[in-house]
Amino acid sequence: MKPENPFVALLSLLVGLLFLSPVLYSIWMSFQTADDFYAGRVTFTLDNYERAIGQFNFARYLINSLIVSGLVTVLGITVATLAAFAFARFRFPGGDLMFGATVATLMIPSHISLIPNYLTLAKAGLLDTYAGLILPAISNGFACFFLRQYMRGIPKALDEAAYMDGATHLQVLWRIIVPLSRPAISSMALYIFIAEWNNYIWPLVAVGKQDLYTLQIGLARLYRINPGEGLIDWPLVMAASTITILPVLLGFLAVERHLVRGITMGAVK
Amino acid sequence: MLRKLTPYFFVAPLMIFIAVFTYVPILTSLNLSVRQWNFLTPDMPFVGLHNYEELFASAEFWNSLKVTVLFAVLSVPLRLGAALFIASRLIRETLSSRLLRGAFFLPSVTSTVSIAVVFSWVFATDYGMVNAILHLVGLGRPQWLQDPYLALWVLIIVNTWRQLGYDIVIYIAGLQAIPQELYDAAAVDGGQRFHVFRRVTLPLVMPTTYFLLIIAVIEAFQVFTIVNVMTRGGPAGATDMLVNLLYEIGFELFDIGRGSALAVILFVLLVGLALLKSRIIGSKVHYEA
Repeated sequence: MKPENPFVALLSLLVGLLFLSPVLYSIWMSFQTADDFYAGRVTFTLDNYERAIGQFNFARYLINSLIVSGLVTVLGITVATLAAFAFARFRFPGGDLMFGATVATLMIPSHISLIPNYLTLAKAGLLDTYAGLILPAISNGFACFFLRQYMRGIPKALDEAAYMDGATHLQVLWRIIVPLSRPAISSMALYIFIAEWNNYIWPLVAVGKQDLYTLQIGLARLYRINPGEGLIDWPLVMAASTITILPVLLGFLAVERHLVRGITMGAVK
Repeated sequence: MLRKLTPYFFVAPLMIFIAVFTYVPILTSLNLSVRQWNFLTPDMPFVGLHNYEELFASAEFWNSLKVTVLFAVLSVPLRLGAALFIASRLIRETLSSRLLRGAFFLPSVTSTVSIAVVFSWVFATDYGMVNAILHLVGLGRPQWLQDPYLALWVLIIVNTWRQLGYDIVIYIAGLQAIPQELYDAAAVDGGQRFHVFRRVTLPLVMPTTYFLLIIAVIEAFQVFTIVNVMTRGGPAGATDMLVNLLYEIGFELFDIGRGSALAVILFVLLVGLALLKSRIIGSKVHYEA
């Protein structure tokens, strides 16, 4: 990394803070009482978090979001990895067609399946269940495509050596391909997790029971209860918003570089 | 025999999920779009192209299309212009440019609902951040989200704020792929900064620009969350973008036929755009260094 002008560095810091100021200020606001916020006084309180978590059920929403995003990630990665392995290593009748169909899903907007998926799950009695939230999100064409490209870069000699020693396909996948694809798998896992964590329209239509709200739905409802009825309790809303942002934010800061690299690879290659 | 079947076992789970939740729904939507149904009645009579005709005859569809196109036309140059400007300042691998890239990228991974809620406060008429600043410098207090002219702009700003980081990352990759020799040659010829930008940088990032342009247009046609949280399509339909209309028709009015017809129209539009995009990627995104 090159040394740099301290003035430029300071200016960059300011620009970054200014850009993020709405979110930074919302986090700051979440530690103020409503009265103090409206009066323009500065205080510190955890009261908004206590109310969001206790009275407004955000602990439950947080758990729901973790369950749904976690399961979608694990299942989605598993399914994508299995298929990617077959597409990367086997030539079989219909293989190219199926791979094409997988990649083509990237072009298909999700709204076309909104009403049909709602009907499918209603028929299966899975609306208002975790399964209903999770099942439609499991297939991920991009993850499969990305992993397949990555796996093709792994020398085939490694598989062949293992097959000589009598390994099964699953063993080769699990012992050789998966460990060597770790960077690709983890960046895809993160990508799926974030996308699912922030998913809004599907939980909005698939869930009516409050006990199954994800954070996104809970936050939108909490904000929507208020408008029209006098002053909004902004500090409370911002505490809920901070709870919604924080887990992904921390995860992102931990692995930012991998994710950005993954995105560039997917877009310009 | 079994050995020949092996690859099919590996792809089967993904294929089943894709079939059930992506491909069959396209056919289901097509089928529902020529029927009349509201979730409740036992049968769904075939009505031909009636739902499409009804949509094309309704003011709300044309309003929605207009608003969506307006959103795209206004937000795309804003996004790309800002992103290219910022990216050209952040191509060097210094600590501060890395951190700034991170800062700009952060909103892309942040919950859209949170962003919508936070910006509802930023643009709130009373106690909002923007109006507090305007008040400080002696300007008025516009009712941003209640004003039919301003509300769409607010959504455009929020969407730009969220997507900018992605555009910047892609532009940086595009800019870094431009061979240094070209800049050196331009410098030897005594090119002015603006000239070099116009004659060297701009043409050479054109493929990246096309790519981002189409992505941005595709995204504009799919905007929903910020509309649903911030304006509900209002005031007076001023922000009633296409997916919001689809949600209203399908899940508030339960007019499944008309909702499906709208979904099919959107599908055709978006797949067309996506095909255009893949042609561009196929042709050449990068100039090899």
